Amino acid sequence: MSPEQTSLLQGTLDLLILKSLRAGEMHGLGVSRRIQQITGGTFVVKPGSLFPALHRMEEEGWITAFWGESENNRRAKYYRLSKPGMKQLEAETKRWSRISLAIGQALETS
Amino acid sequence: MPLLLKGRSFLRNLFFSRRVDSDLEQEVQSQLEILIEEKMRAGMPAAEARRAAKIEMGGVEQLKEQVREERMGNWLQSVLSDCRYALRQLGKNPGSSAVMIFTLALAIGASTAIFSVVYGVLLRPLPYADANRIMAIFEVTAKGTPARLADPNFDDFRDQNRSFGAIAKYDNYVTSISGTGQPTRSMIAHVSPRMLTVFSVHPILGRDFSDGDGKQGAARTALVSYGYWRQELGAPAELSQARLKIDGAEYSVIGVLPNGFRFPADVDLWLPAGLDGEGRSRTSHNYSAVGRLRDGVTVAQANGDISAIARRIHDASNEQGDYLLTDAMVLPLQDSITGEARLPLQVLLGAVGFLLLVACANVANLLLAQASVRERELAIRSALGAGRGRLIRQFLTEAFLLSLVGGGLGVLGAFWGVAGLIALAPGNLPRIENVSINIPVLVFAVLLSTAVAAGLGAFTAARATAGDMRKGLAEGGRGEAGSQRSQRVGQIIVATQIAITLVLVVGAGLLGRSLMKVLEVNPGFRVDKIVAMDVALPWVDDHKVKASRGIFFANLIDRLKQIPGVRTVGATSVLPMAEGGLPDGMFLLASRDEAPKSMDELVAMMIRQKDRMGIADFCAATDGYFQALGIPLLRGRMFEASDGANSPHVALISESLARERWPNQDPLGHTIEIGNMDSDLRLLTIVGIVGDTHEYGLDVAPRPTVYVNLLQRPSPAISVTMLSDADTRSVTAAARGILQELDPEIPASFQTFSQVYSASLRPRRFNVILVGFFGIVALLLATAGVFGVMAYAVNRRTREIGVRVALGASTGHVLRMVLGEGLRTICIGVGIGIAGALALTRTMEALLFGITANDPLTFGGVTLLLVGAALLACYIPARRAMKVDPMVALRYE
Repeated sequence: MSPEQTSLLQGTLDLLILKSLRAGEMHGLGVSRRIQQITGGTFVVKPGSLFPALHRMEEEGWITAFWGESENNRRAKYYRLSKPGMKQLEAETKRWSRISLAIGQALETS
Repeated sequence: MPLLLKGRSFLRNLFFSRRVDSDLEQEVQSQLEILIEEKMRAGMPAAEARRAAKIEMGGVEQLKEQVREERMGNWLQSVLSDCRYALRQLGKNPGSSAVMIFTLALAIGASTAIFSVVYGVLLRPLPYADANRIMAIFEVTAKGTPARLADPNFDDFRDQNRSFGAIAKYDNYVTSISGTGQPTRSMIAHVSPRMLTVFSVHPILGRDFSDGDGKQGAARTALVSYGYWRQELGAPAELSQARLKIDGAEYSVIGVLPNGFRFPADVDLWLPAGLDGEGRSRTSHNYSAVGRLRDGVTVAQANGDISAIARRIHDASNEQGDYLLTDAMVLPLQDSITGEARLPLQVLLGAVGFLLLVACANVANLLLAQASVRERELAIRSALGAGRGRLIRQFLTEAFLLSLVGGGLGVLGAFWGVAGLIALAPGNLPRIENVSINIPVLVFAVLLSTAVAAGLGAFTAARATAGDMRKGLAEGGRGEAGSQRSQRVGQIIVATQIAITLVLVVGAGLLGRSLMKVLEVNPGFRVDKIVAMDVALPWVDDHKVKASRGIFFANLIDRLKQIPGVRTVGATSVLPMAEGGLPDGMFLLASRDEAPKSMDELVAMMIRQKDRMGIADFCAATDGYFQALGIPLLRGRMFEASDGANSPHVALISESLARERWPNQDPLGHTIEIGNMDSDLRLLTIVGIVGDTHEYGLDVAPRPTVYVNLLQRPSPAISVTMLSDADTRSVTAAARGILQELDPEIPASFQTFSQVYSASLRPRRFNVILVGFFGIVALLLATAGVFGVMAYAVNRRTREIGVRVALGASTGHVLRMVLGEGLRTICIGVGIGIAGALALTRTMEALLFGITANDPLTFGGVTLLLVGAALLACYIPARRAMKVDPMVALRYE
């Protein structure tokens, strides 16, 4: 674990997964790489956290899964964002901005 | 939408779990392969790439487990897997599991059966609309006991009350009905017109009584029950032709009541009361009364209301004496019907509850013993990451499984048990037709099983997961401290079992000894070889009818005497120990020239001469009655043939009445007036004194009784008593034929007097059998419990014993050591039990006879029995302890 590894709340992990999948369809490892990329390396999501989250979100209907072929023609399970998932992403994004704004304000006042 | 998706996922996970699992497996594998490829492309050698990839993925099994935990419906999966595991666990010890299931089945089944009786008799509401608003109304005598109502008192209650929307009086008795195909002996009731209104019942055919139907001299109308309408009348749709002959008068049927309504119990015909005028005395308690409370009126308010009216009557009346009401009370009808059954049923419920506790204690001990063997398994599971909650859930699941199976078997057994209870039950148990295994009883069974499961599971789980479970993994397995604690718990459980069993068996012993004491009482009459025939002639108050009645009875008795095998024939107005009992009332010590000429004059005389009154039960009988039943004539003479209808009336009195009312005189030759009981105003001369009899039952003291000659003063309904050596069936057939010849419109019912006698003992026998059965079962369970704990303790201490023997301890020393501990537990249990029994048996004092609730013989005997049984149970393990070979014990691991 990198020293910057912070414990991710479940909600934040969901948000990051949704955001990653917005860019396109990916398999589990791909999502993990993408999250690492878009957070500038701050969040390295281990498979032990990622796969349970992916399966849970699939059961809730925000992402859908299908079997496809990877870069090297390997069979792999891919995930894509669903329409309710898109809506969830928008709602969560708005919420997150509101929260971070509020906390930022709180921290700035003496 | 999300709900639909979640539901679909849930179902998919439930039914296609294997496919879902293999899908997951494939996904994880494929990701692993991709990762390995990436690393290899980055230049790692194959083996190292594989290892690095595996490290990065983390434990594959753990990954899959974590995904599974997130799954929808995972809780159900884990519950199901707990169940599978629990089943396997029970299967590993089939003998022990069978014993536990059987014990629980017995306890839960017995509890369910008893509860079904308690529910059907006590708890289930009466089948009328808003039944809890229907009240029974009683007068209260000077002694404080409830009594029925006198006519004028009822009228005053009816007219002056402010609490009741409708109020009615009723009286019921059995009489002969003819006019349909076959004459029947049926229960009829005389009721005031608002009777059906009180019960919110409407006829399904025809009409209800109107106020006019109850006026003196009105046309005679009758209502019939549904059953009577169907069976005796043939269910006609039109009632205009239905006419019945009842008590010498013709009645037209005007209405049919709904199926299921038969209040008072077993009534088939309702006639209006008061058609022949009403009684005028305020001390003739002729009627029972019921009323429906007005909306918003409470029972307490109604009580106050009625009580005030009663006191007004008392203060204004000049009929003072023991029989005039001093107060009145109101009681919910259900309580008045079931009140007497309450204590015995509560005792039964308590007894079966104790049995349940003892049974559960045994099962708990067995579960504990199993749990201690599983210490290692628990330790491993705990080390693998199972939380304490998960392990507790496992124990709860096992307990639930046991309880469910045991409870299910128990309920099945309860069906059979309830049938047995109904067959065994005393005839006077009210509302017994309601007793069955119905929904509320099943709900009770389920709740009980759940409670037992929760209790056992929680207890076992708490014991097994107490302390650091990982100690179980250490070499040697069992820490000393833990074993001592679990032994202590086992001993506490056994001591509790012994205490509870002692209370239960003491209760059974007290009831049993009461029954034996009752059986020792001399009833005062012979019981066997007597056939009783009940005959009811019309209840008519006309003196010509009465005269012909007397002749009819004389004829009947003469003809019956001719039956071969019949030695003696007599008749009485009420058979001893039969339901109902004798009417009781006052009589006047009148001298020969004081005969009153009218009822009013008699009432006036009684008011004036209160000091010359007596109180006695009133019976009309023939000389044959005393001979047949073997009631001895102590002094004077018996009724003779010369005591004809036109001769001076004579009477016999019972010994206790002679002692009570004529303590320093000879009652023979004195005259008394008792016309208030049978409307015959002629004086009676006392000509003889007969022995006391237990009219009401062996456990009720004989009451002072006046016997008039049935042939001089014939009451309409009699029981003929035939003492015969021939068998019952032939006597019955012959008697039936004779009666049929003499009057085809009068049917008879037969029973043997010993049947009546047994029936009177049935309530006691019922209690003794049931509580005794529970006591014996509890005793066996407790003995098994003691045995189990002792054997377990000896087992545990085998090594210690081996060491002691090796160091020189004698076998006697070992025996004392082992027994000593057992004895201590037993003594503690017995001590607590005796204290508990002393406190609790006081509540059943009303059920006892001839002994006190703290009867030392019973207590002593039961204590000895219990200690003996427990010591016996310790004996075998103790012997095993003595035989421990130190070489084997020390090597044993």
